[in-house]
Amino acid sequence: MPILSPRSWPLAIKLSLTITAVVTAVGFMIGVVMVLQDWSRFHDELGEKALLLAESVAITAPKAMRRKDHWSLYLSLKNMASRRPGTKGTHEVVTAMILDPEGKIQAHLNPAENPMGLLFSPGNDIEQNFLEQAMEARTPIALSSGGFSKAGFLEGVVPLFSDQKYMGVVRVRLSVAQLYEKARNSAFIVLSLILLFVFIGSALGTIVSRRMVKPLTAVTQGLEAVGRGEMTDFSPVPIRDRDEIGRLSVTFNQIMAELAEKKMLEEEAAMSEKLVALGRITAGVAHEVNNPLAGLLNCIDTLRKHPDDKKLIDRYLPVIDNGLHRIKDIVHNLLVGLKIEESDDTVSIEHIDNLRELIVAEVGDRHIDIIWNNTSDKDLNVPGKLEQIVCNLLKNAVEILPDNGKIIFSMYQDGPYLNIDVSDNGPGISPNIKNQLFDPFFTTKPNGTGLGLWVVYRLVQSMGGVIGVESEENQGSTFHVAVPVVTTKAA
Amino acid sequence: MRIICLIVIFWITPFNASSTEPPIRFGLTAVVLTEKTRFLDQWSKYLEQKMGRKVEFALRKSYRDVMDLLESGGIDFAWICGYPYVQPRKPETLQLLTVPIYRGEPRYHSYIIVHHNSGYRHFSDLKGKIFAFSDPDSNSGFLYPLTLMGERGEKSATFFRQTFFTFNHAETVQAVSDQVADGGAVDSYIWESLAVSRPDITEKTRIIDRSPSFGFPPIVFRLGTNDHTVQLMKDTLENMDNDTEGEKLLAQLKLDGFGHYPDSLFNGIRAMANKLQRTGPKYSLLPAD
Repeated sequence: MPILSPRSWPLAIKLSLTITAVVTAVGFMIGVVMVLQDWSRFHDELGEKALLLAESVAITAPKAMRRKDHWSLYLSLKNMASRRPGTKGTHEVVTAMILDPEGKIQAHLNPAENPMGLLFSPGNDIEQNFLEQAMEARTPIALSSGGFSKAGFLEGVVPLFSDQKYMGVVRVRLSVAQLYEKARNSAFIVLSLILLFVFIGSALGTIVSRRMVKPLTAVTQGLEAVGRGEMTDFSPVPIRDRDEIGRLSVTFNQIMAELAEKKMLEEEAAMSEKLVALGRITAGVAHEVNNPLAGLLNCIDTLRKHPDDKKLIDRYLPVIDNGLHRIKDIVHNLLVGLKIEESDDTVSIEHIDNLRELIVAEVGDRHIDIIWNNTSDKDLNVPGKLEQIVCNLLKNAVEILPDNGKIIFSMYQDGPYLNIDVSDNGPGISPNIKNQLFDPFFTTKPNGTGLGLWVVYRLVQSMGGVIGVESEENQGSTFHVAVPVVTTKAA
Repeated sequence: MRIICLIVIFWITPFNASSTEPPIRFGLTAVVLTEKTRFLDQWSKYLEQKMGRKVEFALRKSYRDVMDLLESGGIDFAWICGYPYVQPRKPETLQLLTVPIYRGEPRYHSYIIVHHNSGYRHFSDLKGKIFAFSDPDSNSGFLYPLTLMGERGEKSATFFRQTFFTFNHAETVQAVSDQVADGGAVDSYIWESLAVSRPDITEKTRIIDRSPSFGFPPIVFRLGTNDHTVQLMKDTLENMDNDTEGEKLLAQLKLDGFGHYPDSLFNGIRAMANKLQRTGPKYSLLPAD
């Protein structure tokens, strides 16, 4: 799944995603800092407000406490709690109380549950902790429930003194609910702005990255075309900027132009090579055919002058016959070598094995051992051309071997290939002629046409196979042929 | 031109109000009349019009303040409670002028109220609770509940766990409805008035004890006040129900009028005060300040 592997994504997408990620991260960080700063500022302001409210109660409380005027104490709490400080009514008094030094309630905003004169009992450990802090306070302090929670609060704690005597404490607790709402609203606004920012940033990033990557895409497509060998319909990458990508485009255009020129030169060279080869064949044919022709014409001339000389006829007729057969052989081999067609003719393995008898006949009275190893599938059908290949290689070996020579023929399957090895213990091939071995009209034999191995080479090539030779002087030679197995089952 | 102006000023001024004479000063407490500034303006204007004298109302927090003001000669007339009225003073400094008539009678009650959700049914249920008194010089808001305790052989300091004064009957109702106090003693006249103007507060209270009827808080004058002024004030007040303007003011006070009644009207309160005098110190509950 290429879509799931980011490494295969187009550069334009990766670039724009990176820009988006960076913009988002930066925007988010700025947003978080802004929201946190806002919250902390509001929080501090609310803490001050709680202290101010507690202090407003604390002004009159000691006097009322001395007079045991609990009603005034209660009213001061109630009036403080119901106060609406202008339009900035961003606080809500959750609870407020006045305690004496022992912690007894002098007044409480919720008198039904906190009757005056009784010890204030906190509901839980956290409240107990707050109470202890409040009772220990000898200077005004603001206590905070901490954390970013709707249920949080800020408490203004103001100790009460009358003539430097500690009288108790005023506790005014403000809810952060409205603050929380405010912070949440501002967070929402900041988040919306970030989203907008991200959207615009991503859009711009996409446009910019597409613009930047466009020449790279053109270069990539051009290189892919080179890979496929298509260089003719190459159109130069337009150059917009002079940056790295611009310079790359310029270089790429130059390389492409040079490659196209090189390919053209190569094609021309190949063509001239073909012409050279053709010339060599033509020259070879002319030379090989011309040599016997001169002798033949001389023979015919002599016979014409002495038509009744029986001795001459007996002597020249075999010479003429030989010369003509040689020309016939040359023409036949040339035809075979040049007119190799894509034929689908197949023969059974049996046909190859039959060649053994032919070679034995060729050997005649000479003392040559033939070792025949055919391990390939007997039902295998092989291309008909293989018969000619094996025949030529074996004939060569027979011709080159002296008496008491040895020929080893091996045929075996190896994967999709059929391998044929023909070895002899003859004089071997001199390293300096190894390269010319498969050239047409190259021969070391006095009566050779120099076309046998050339035909083998051409046939192997036409079958999509390979041919190689290993040889050591005075030790022998081995020809290896490997051709693809065309059919595996007999029809 | 200047002469004409002066004549006009001199001619108008004595007609409008007798600026030459000092104003008549009338003491009131917030115990009964809550901050009715606009009403007091209207009432003082009415009295000025009827008496041809400038009338100034002096509003004080407690009955004690008004009594002090009356005894020191700071005011000539005062609307006080029956309890300070019946206190024996030697020499006597004040005298009954006239008594407001409420619902056809110069009488009212003391209500012992509790929060409507509470389970208290009787005054004795409030033992060990928090109690709100109105004013230490109030009959309905202090003397009556003290008498109730006395009848049970109890004293305020031991009967209740905690007590406080609101110095205002309306705020006593508020204290009970807010559950600052478990119970409170209030003037029936104030409670009934609140039941009309602020039913949201009175609805949260329940009356568990209704006292016998007492003489309504009277209007008194300082001995030594000019007889003519005293008579003029008495006539003016007692005739308020005879004109539309006066009736409107009386309606705002929720009173039928003012009438002449004998001092014996306050014998009930006097008897309670005397009884309390014998059983214990009067101001045992008041702070030293």
